[in-house]
Parts: sequence; structure tokens; C-alpha cells
Amino acid sequence: MTAAPAAPAGPASAARPGGATPPGHGWAASRLRKKMSTWVLFTLMVIVAIVMLYPFWYLVDNAFRSPGQFDRQSGHALSGWKELFANLPVGSQLINSTLVCVAAIAIILVVSTTAGFAFAKLRYRGSGTVFLLVVSALMVPLQSIIIPEYVNLAKIGLTNSYAGAVLVYAALGTPFATFLMATYYRGISDELIEAAVIDGLGYERTFLQIALPLSLPAIATVTVLQFIQIWDDLLVGLLFLPASQRTITAGLATLSAGRTTSIPALMAGSLISALPAIGVYLIFQRHLVKGLTLGMGK
Amino acid sequence: MSRIVLDSVTKQFPDGTTAVQSLDLEVGDGELLVLVGPSGCGKTTALRMVAGLEEVTSGSIYIDDRPVNDVEPRHRDIAMVFQSYALYPHLSVYDNMAFSLKYRKVAKSEIRQRVAEAARILELEPYLARKPRQLSGGQRQRVAMGRAIVRQPRAFLMDEPLSNLDAKLRVQMRAEIAQLQRSLGTTTIYVTHDQTEAMTLGTRVAVISGGVLKQAAAPQELYRRPANLFVAGFIGSPPMNLVDAAIERGDGGLTVVFGPHRLGVPAAVIAEHPALERHIGGQIVLGVRPENLHDAALVHDSDPAAIIELPVRLREELGSEVHIHGAIGTAAHVSGSESDDVHSLATMVARMDPRTAIREGQTARVQVDTTALHFFDRATGESIRR
Repeated sequence: MTAAPAAPAGPASAARPGGATPPGHGWAASRLRKKMSTWVLFTLMVIVAIVMLYPFWYLVDNAFRSPGQFDRQSGHALSGWKELFANLPVGSQLINSTLVCVAAIAIILVVSTTAGFAFAKLRYRGSGTVFLLVVSALMVPLQSIIIPEYVNLAKIGLTNSYAGAVLVYAALGTPFATFLMATYYRGISDELIEAAVIDGLGYERTFLQIALPLSLPAIATVTVLQFIQIWDDLLVGLLFLPASQRTITAGLATLSAGRTTSIPALMAGSLISALPAIGVYLIFQRHLVKGLTLGMGK
Repeated sequence: MSRIVLDSVTKQFPDGTTAVQSLDLEVGDGELLVLVGPSGCGKTTALRMVAGLEEVTSGSIYIDDRPVNDVEPRHRDIAMVFQSYALYPHLSVYDNMAFSLKYRKVAKSEIRQRVAEAARILELEPYLARKPRQLSGGQRQRVAMGRAIVRQPRAFLMDEPLSNLDAKLRVQMRAEIAQLQRSLGTTTIYVTHDQTEAMTLGTRVAVISGGVLKQAAAPQELYRRPANLFVAGFIGSPPMNLVDAAIERGDGGLTVVFGPHRLGVPAAVIAEHPALERHIGGQIVLGVRPENLHDAALVHDSDPAAIIELPVRLREELGSEVHIHGAIGTAAHVSGSESDDVHSLATMVARMDPRTAIREGQTARVQVDTTALHFFDRATGESIRR
């Protein structure tokens, strides 16, 4: 915490020149301290917000300039957009991104909710070890396994296709999602599950009718986090997808690979590609906060 | 309507702890049996085995003469009320109550009728459309009861259903559960750690400690004739005074001696406890209920052979009665394995008439009702009777 300068309380303040201490002086001093620390905190947060938002402003501002205007940093034009659409199949790449994202997230959700429920509620011999294995997969960086992964998929003929990229994204996202879902399901009381079992449901229906509806905040959290991760990913998109099926992020990378790079066109593309992720975040935001703070208290 | 039988049921957990040890218990048709004991005594585990939520390590459980050890919970036709109520938070009160019926393929019109009937009995009609989080603790408890009632099951299993309520509401709900169970006549097993709840609710009460059944009997029988030290110390509030004592043959009868005190045992009591003869000259544990200790000054025809003098340590005013804590001048009984469970102090507590003039610091002349003495074998802890 920031230590705001404040009047010392107690006998020291009573001895100050000016005479008698009014009743409730200590209370006023603590209120002043609180006010000061609020201001310090507020100022800090404004600074952090500027640091975070400035690149985004830079992106929007320069997306609407021509290369000349970009160099001079004055004036606005739509030439960057024209160039972007002339050089890049933006529409189809957005569709590619969406397809890959939706398919991978669907797989992640199916696996992580069922596995998370099993880890949390159907304890079996060795389940702790299996859970540990799954969680330890979180610590493996993508770059270190991407080549073996490519070789594996090439052997079964899944490179250069949506399926390959979707499977890789699903495999990369599932460990964290499973961890999150298991944590969430642990927070649901055992008695609730047992009540459903006694009420006549098998474990499958208990999962579908009770656990799944209750875990919507966690599902929203997984969806948003994975959407942002997969949508923004470059490496897998470049490696596993052919030019015709490239995602928007991979497409933008190829845009800057030419001899001359038009920064405004790149900015325009980046802006388009950022919007869906922002949209998804805004839609699920309320649940996201609930999901991320789960297990923090009653 | 049904009968539940536990035939030497044992539950051992994988870590080696034995939660329940060869438990024999029979719950008659329409009976409300209360399982009571300190926390961790195995009562909830026993209930969960009947529900099918825990596997039975050995022994058998029968519901209506049908062994159910390998029957899934949903096929046992029992309803359970949980300590946390376990209401489905995303469903309305109506849907919570109708939930199991929907999955048992009961006709919609019948579901509506049964839920309406349960809601009427439990006064839940105004809340049917609400979610559990919009209800008070007492209302949630009623919904949990309602969910059990609509099933019309063979038996109700209740696991400390009142422990999350405040004291006043608990008393009220206790009475409601008793009335409801009696009017429905459904066989019920009720688990609690609260002996008042056990005594007021149970047709019969089974006292369990350390996974072992200590005594199962009607509440009055349990109170008047506790089978062992554990039951004697557990049932009753304030608990029975237990002191190490010796039995001696005095002039014309038996005398119990503890510390500096001597009490003559009436002939009728000796006749009722013939086994006492075998303990003459030996050590026993003497039990005296607080209400059997009176202020000698307030007793009309006090018997000098049954008066003891106790220095008063504490006087507690309770309005309708006064508790006098008197030093007994000897060590209170502490039994090895049960020392944590049995309330043992070097004082005797007397529940006296509020008119008593006995004050702290005085020496009280206490009249002991010697016709209501309890005797226990010090080695086994069992009651000395026949």
C-alpha cells in the first residue's frame, strides 16, 4: 500500500501548536489518510490505463492514414484500408479464424467440463496423479513441442487442414481449462451432487442437469480466455494451415513479410482482427470476473 | 412404509479408519429412529450407507427384507434431507420439489398435485416461483423437506437437517418435523449430535460412540436406565454426575462411599440391582442426575443417611431452576477411552428449586434421592443391574 503522508494521531497531534484537539480528530485524520491513499491509487491507475490504452489509440489513429501521412503523423485517409482489402482476403480469413476458434473451443469445453467434473467429484484410484499430469502440461511451452507436434500430425496427414490446427489448439488449451473447471466443480458441494443421485439421476445426468448449468461462469471464463488466445495465435496458424485456410492473425503476418510494409494497412488489419476478441470479452465480461474470482470466499 | 434393518454393518475407510463397527439396528415401520452421538462417531456414515452413498465394508442392509448393499441410491426409494439442504440453486422452489418426480416419469398432472400438496403442508405456496437464494434459512429447510415428501419414499433419511438454523427456529422446525413425520407415518432415520433434538424427536434413540452402538431405546428408557457410562454422560443436560465410589456392606444394607461422603442404598434399589452384591468391597462408578440432588432445607422429611455436605463453588441462576456446583472432595470419574466425551469434573452439579438459599462459599446440605442412583462397573463401563 502507498503510505500517504498524514497527520500523526494521538498525543503528538494534541501537542501541535494551535491548542485543543477537537473531538473526533483521530477519525478525521484517518478519513484524510484514506482519501489521500484513494487519490494516489487513482492516479496510479490512470497512468497504467494510459500506458495500456495508448497503443490501441495509436493503432486506431494510424489505421486511417496513408503511408505518407503516417510518416508525417498528420492527416487521415482510407488508403490503408483499400490496400489491406486489395492484398488480403480479410473476409475469408475472419471466417477461418472463427471456424478454428469455435471448433477448438467446443472441443476444449467438452473435454474440460467432463474431465473437470470427474476429477472433482468422481474420485477414483490414481485420480490425483492423473490430475497432476494434466496440470503439469500447463508448464510446457508451446514452442518446445511444436516441431514434434508437427511431425506427429504430418504422419497422420492432418497438416495443412483445419482439423490439424483445431486439434493442436484444443490440446494446448485443454489442460488449463480442465484445471479451471475442476477447481470450479470442487466448489460445488458434494451434497448437491449426492442429492441429485438420490433423486434418481445417474452421474451422467447429474453432470448435465446440475453441474453444467451451475458452471456457466467458469464456462464463460474458459471461452473468453481461449478465444483470445486462439484468435491471437500466430505460430500454429502459420505452421498448420495452408494459405487458403489462414486465420486473420497469420494473414496479417504475411502482409508484413513483403519487401515494403505498409504500416497503415497493417494497422487496419490489426484493428479488424482485434474487434472480435474485444466483442467476446465484453459479452462475457460479467461472468468472466465471477469466474476468475471463484473460490476466493463465500 | 417400510422397515430398515442393519445387520452387523461395518464401514472401514481406505485409510484404515473404522467409522462404523458391526452396527445392528432395526427401524420399524413408521418409526422415527434418531442416531445421536458426538461429532465423528460414525452416525452420518451409517446414514449414508443406508442411502447408498457409502459402500458397506461388511454386513448387510435391508430395506423391507430386501438386501440393498449393491443397489444404487436411486433404486433404493429413499429420500434424504441434507445438512446444507442441497437445494439446486438454479431451479425454482417448484422445480426443486418436482425434480425427482420428473426423472421418475411421474405424470405432469400428478407432479403438480403432489408439489401443491407438499407446498400447502409446508406453507411454501407463496414461494414456489422463487430461487433458493431468495429464501430464508427456515424456508430453505422446508423446501428440502418438501423435496423429500413429494417423493412419497419408503423412508426419509435426515442428516442434521436443523443444524444450520438459529436456536429459536430450530425449536420450531423440530416440532414441525415431528408433527409431519407422525402425520405421514414414513419410516425415518434422523441423525443429530444434539441430544435434546434426539430426545424430543425420536420414537427410539440410538446412541453411537466411536462407531459402536452404545444403546438403542425409547428416550425415557435411555434417560432412566442408561446401559453404560457413555450414555449416562451423554444424555441429559446438565449431564449426570459421575464419581468413583466404593460399595460397602453397612448395618442392614449397602453403603456407597465416595470421598468423605457415605450414602445408604435403599433396599428397593438393591433389589433392582442384584448385581451390586458382587461389587461389595470393590470399586464402582456412581451416577447421580442433577435433579436428584435437592436442598435439604427445602425437603420435608429429609433422610439423614442420604445427606451430603458440599462446599459450593458456583451458583447459576436459570430462572426456573438454579444450578449449584459443589466440590465433592474426591476426583471425579474419568474413564480412559471416553475421557474426552464424558463430562467429568471434581464437582457435582445439582439442579435445585429456585427458592434455595444456598450461596457460593457456603457448605450446602444436599439431599440425595437415593432411589434414583445409577451404578456402573468401573472396568467395563456397563451399568450394574442383574
